Amino acid sequence: MSADATKELDLENGPTDEELVADTLKGNLASYDELIRRFQARLYGVIYHLTSNHDDTNDMLMEVFDKAYRSLPTFRGQSSFYTWIYRIAINRTFNFLDKRKRRQGAMSLNEIDEDGLPKFDLPDPIQRNNPSKSSMLNELQNKLNESMLQLSKEHRTVVTLFDIQGLAHAEIAKIMGCTEGTVRSRLHYAHKQLQKSLGIYLRR
Amino acid sequence: MSQPEDFTSLQKLLQLKKLETPGQQYFDRFVDAFHQYQRQEILREQPWYAKLVEVLFEPWVAGIPRLATVGAAAACLMAGIALMFGPIGATSVQLADGKVSHARGVIVASNQKDDSAQIQPELIDTAAGGEVTEIRPLYVNGHGAVAYDSQLAF
Repeated sequence: MSADATKELDLENGPTDEELVADTLKGNLASYDELIRRFQARLYGVIYHLTSNHDDTNDMLMEVFDKAYRSLPTFRGQSSFYTWIYRIAINRTFNFLDKRKRRQGAMSLNEIDEDGLPKFDLPDPIQRNNPSKSSMLNELQNKLNESMLQLSKEHRTVVTLFDIQGLAHAEIAKIMGCTEGTVRSRLHYAHKQLQKSLGIYLRR
Repeated sequence: MSQPEDFTSLQKLLQLKKLETPGQQYFDRFVDAFHQYQRQEILREQPWYAKLVEVLFEPWVAGIPRLATVGAAAACLMAGIALMFGPIGATSVQLADGKVSHARGVIVASNQKDDSAQIQPELIDTAAGGEVTEIRPLYVNGHGAVAYDSQLAF
């Protein structure tokens, strides 16, 4: 492939994240929209599992993409764009959680979403045909969220990134700016705490 | 002997949290909603001090050190250099007749008759007031050194 061809976006195989960043910086804002589409679901997940509130998550997600857009000129490619934007999302969410904690004290269960979203995005047949199963799952979801909120934000983050989003220890360490050993030990501690809190739901 | 901890059931349970999603419709509309958000941000006027607070107090953003961190680091470096090297210049200068001039503006002389008497460095500093910044004539009796404030007219 010629050097000129590689400079243009490879539309057949799809441009890389870094190519989209470079294109955005040249003035093609549609490339940034593509980056948003690529990362919106994952970042929503990270922020939601930290905040357990849809409205807050929506606000934070807007802020994160806005902050990332404004900081794009500073993205030097030393880490992947993926790591870079995750780091922004987590740092911003941590700041938000600290402010919320100072404002409200300990998190109350009332902060957890009670409406506005399907609690678990269950296929309709399950919800229609088995309302008791649906109700049990809702109860389980509430208990899961309650247990997660009892963890520190750092522990909640490693559980979210590892258990829910399936990231590797090394990736998590880069995102959180710590060692792999720290990630493993936080994960172990978090698992122990969650196991204690969710005990009856784990019995077969 | 304790058994190794098994978190398999817990991890399976945590997979349920993947189902917590606002739905595809939310994501389909998100880019347009974000454009609207950005336009509103441009129109929304921030108080003049908001940007200043952000620049000064947000220490590290996306890999770029902010002013506060740079300033603090520079201040620590300067303090470290100052502590390491101490006051600039010699603390004492040898004068004629065996007298010694101290940087604090006192002249230390020996009252020993013996011309070969050397004034000990520690006596010079003691006579000059040591760490005390106030300059006053000091007489170090019993050790042969006397100090005069060089600013006084003789």
